[in-house]
Amino acid sequence: MNRLPRISIVLLLWLLCTVPAMSIQRFPPPEFETDHTIPTATQPSARSVGFEILDVAVLTAALSLASWLVLKKRSRRWIVVLMLFSLVYFGFWRKGCICSIGAIGNVTLAIFDSNYAIPWVMLLFFFLPLLFTLFFGRSFCAAVCPLGAVQDVVLLRPLEIVPWLETTLRLLAWLYLSVAVLLAATGSAFVICRYDPFVAFFRFSANPAIWIISFSMLIIAIFVGRPYCRFLCPYGLILRQVGRISKFRVTITPDECIHCRLCEGACPFGAIEKPTVEWPRTEYPRGRRRLITLICLLPVFIAAGIWIGHALHPKLAANHPVVQLAQRVKLEQTGVHLETIDMSKAFYSSGQTLEHLYASADQVSSQFALGSAIMGGFLGLVIGGTLLTHSIFWKRAEYEAHRAGCVACGRCYNYCPRHRKWLKDKKV
Amino acid sequence: MEKQTPDNLPRRRFLREGLWTGALAALGAACAVLLAKGRRQKYVWQIDPLKCIGCGNCATHCVLNESAVKCVHAYAMCGYCDLCTGYFIPEPKELTTAAENQLCPTGAIIRTFVEDPYFEYTIDEPLCVGCGKCVVGCNAFGNGSLFLQVRHDRCVNCNECAIAVACPSQAFKRVPIETPYIMKDA
Amino acid sequence: MKKRIGKIQSGVLTGLVLAVAIGAGVAAFLLFDTSGTKSTLPPEYKYEIEQYAKIDPALIIYEQVGDPIETDFDTACAITLDDAGNMVIAGDSKLVKYDLAGKPLNEIELPKEPTCIEFDLDGNLIVGMSNVIMILDPQGNTVQEWSAPTAVSLQTSIAADKDHVFAADALNKLVWCYDREGNVVNKLGAKDPDRNIPGIVIPSAYFDIATYPDGLLRVVNPGRHWIEAYTTDGDREWYWGRAGVDIEGFSGCCNPVALAVLPDGGFVTAEKGLVRVKVYDADGEFVGVVAGPDQLGWIEPLRVCKTPEECKAKGFDVAVDKAGRIYVLDTLRNVVRIFERNKSAAARAAR
Repeated sequence: MNRLPRISIVLLLWLLCTVPAMSIQRFPPPEFETDHTIPTATQPSARSVGFEILDVAVLTAALSLASWLVLKKRSRRWIVVLMLFSLVYFGFWRKGCICSIGAIGNVTLAIFDSNYAIPWVMLLFFFLPLLFTLFFGRSFCAAVCPLGAVQDVVLLRPLEIVPWLETTLRLLAWLYLSVAVLLAATGSAFVICRYDPFVAFFRFSANPAIWIISFSMLIIAIFVGRPYCRFLCPYGLILRQVGRISKFRVTITPDECIHCRLCEGACPFGAIEKPTVEWPRTEYPRGRRRLITLICLLPVFIAAGIWIGHALHPKLAANHPVVQLAQRVKLEQTGVHLETIDMSKAFYSSGQTLEHLYASADQVSSQFALGSAIMGGFLGLVIGGTLLTHSIFWKRAEYEAHRAGCVACGRCYNYCPRHRKWLKDKKV
Repeated sequence: MEKQTPDNLPRRRFLREGLWTGALAALGAACAVLLAKGRRQKYVWQIDPLKCIGCGNCATHCVLNESAVKCVHAYAMCGYCDLCTGYFIPEPKELTTAAENQLCPTGAIIRTFVEDPYFEYTIDEPLCVGCGKCVVGCNAFGNGSLFLQVRHDRCVNCNECAIAVACPSQAFKRVPIETPYIMKDA
Repeated sequence: MKKRIGKIQSGVLTGLVLAVAIGAGVAAFLLFDTSGTKSTLPPEYKYEIEQYAKIDPALIIYEQVGDPIETDFDTACAITLDDAGNMVIAGDSKLVKYDLAGKPLNEIELPKEPTCIEFDLDGNLIVGMSNVIMILDPQGNTVQEWSAPTAVSLQTSIAADKDHVFAADALNKLVWCYDREGNVVNKLGAKDPDRNIPGIVIPSAYFDIATYPDGLLRVVNPGRHWIEAYTTDGDREWYWGRAGVDIEGFSGCCNPVALAVLPDGGFVTAEKGLVRVKVYDADGEFVGVVAGPDQLGWIEPLRVCKTPEECKAKGFDVAVDKAGRIYVLDTLRNVVRIFERNKSAAARAAR
């Protein structure tokens, strides 16, 4: 209903913008003696809003269906079918252009830049999977995300990754997420989109460097289960944390665990955890000491992070176009570079002053100084926290899918004898 | 009766439920705030013709094999010249439509005679690769009626436009979908 | 699902995977360039205008006198010289007189933006606005004022002989010939096959005229790259000039944009686009170059501007003093450069 006033405001703004432009004397085209009329250029419109509603509807349906398949139907086969559908729809048909992972950048920019209003479709693509994860676990990763689907279908010879390596590599995702948020918040770049490793396949085009990344990731994904999801994906990382407190979750067995150990090697993503044995009594004092040491060390980790982050801020700031331009122009002004490039040529022809350019670059740099320090401190906290959580004894009585690590692919179901019995019972 | 798993310890459960409710509330609030701010506005990428320097990156950096950027003609600004510097190479043998005289490497500009001494130039969009060669020629010597625009029937509206990243003059910007073009003769 | 792999084999595989990961990282780091500094566009898709901007130094027979003179105009549009040799520059909504050192002497406010100025033989200043002509006496008082016969007109150049005032009208694509009272006596240059007049082609707002000692008016036909000579009766006597990016031709779609007559009867022409000021003799034979892109400050073929008019301003106006020195007004940067005949080049020519 509030559409009309909005349109009129847009129209008014448009008129205000064009009135001064029209008052400028533009030299008219010739007046023809023949009745030739001067054409106007066509302006083909963008993809209609209807398609966007379809995108959101498909996302919601896929998430619901995935949650049902994972938790109620417990069928790996149908999960694969849905996964392939998502791969085709969100991947090849929509060319990875509407993507929850990339939406992190938009959401961040919308928070930090008051001039940027996030499109509602993007917002829903960011929040709907989070909401579903809060209720049903990572069903998005299971069968809706096209990037996850690519990796899942090529996983042929999974290698086991030792837990310490898994934990360490996951820190990469924290780093990636932090850098992505920092660069998006400063309006520098949407790195998650820029380095998307599978979008090249969806579009059948990319620059050579991205092709190399894409193919390497694909080859690695043959041997390492979902390497992007586990060790890099920033959105997966957020979903992991939400998954920890989800209302429902994947259970390997539909009812009870009989400790048959058949599922032990079932998970290619290392997300099945064995029941724990009690620590020997002698372990406790050591464990406690370690815990206390680590808690004391936590501020040190954070401080080190802040220091390193701050020290690295010039490198990070160099991703901002204004800083890039200022650096280049400075090098040309000081005679290091004798030739101008397109970027500096454009600057010189714009008539802007050097002082203005340097001042705005400095302003961006100071934003980065603060942002990088916060980022470094956060990463310090993450590293310290990771060490801490691995020094705490978690008690488990049965074989469990790890709440955070499980991507709900459904592979383990068929390994469980209780599941097979449950299937048989269901048929009868 | 419930099993006594560590998950079901009363304090753990309390903590978990509290966190869960908190997370749900936070998600809802964040979504609502951002949605209110967004006011369902949608943006698309466009080139500001006043900032474009015709560097040619539009032809090579688009994620599509055939760039979404094409040359557009603001006819109302055109001088309808016989010797069009966006159509002819700098030193044409003669002012004819022979391929050797044409500036456009893909022959994407159509020259039609209107009346003495005027000619009309039209872009054959399927042939245009968006390199901006004619745009440079037209702007350097002529009225600047040829300019580059993102064609929204082709653009997939990437989250981060790859050409925008490579644009040396920061001519790419997000514009509201209601006014998706920045026409020079508007 | 998960196959048991022998120890060695899995070691090899792990190594391979690691190698791929590291290799990809390194390759991507080396290859990835989003800064746009390196263009991958094949050369046939690039318009290299710079190569046409280079001028053989031996052809440059003038040299700049002193530094460019800064004016305080936002948009200067025309320059002329008074009898004392001072510069009068028109722009914004005013006229400003400068001495040769660039010091403003006096200033006259105008009711609207001027587009062209010229002194008549009595030392009165004729000012052209879009469709109004004003004649100011040497003290700056308005002596006469009249409007163009058509409501819509754009006077881009003005000239006067003893009995007439000529106004070049870019919109109507002709030259109005007025008597001194402002009555239209004649129209020059309009398309007329019966009189063998092909018509003036004006693709952009540049259309210059100049009086000449032989009594014929010189009219630039920019779209055809000609300088035409008209009698006050409107007969087209002859023309010279041709299109070409080579140094002897007029480049682009519509050049020259400005014309002035030297004391020896030669012509000074200014071109936009490929910015260059050149000298031709009375018959239209190329003599030499006054200044090229390097001397005038090369203007990028496509500039980054904030407003459309900023993008459009790229023309020059030229004026000549009694000693044959050439004054070039850069209407983009609002500066004046003065050039005089290069002594060594003159000596070389004499030999």
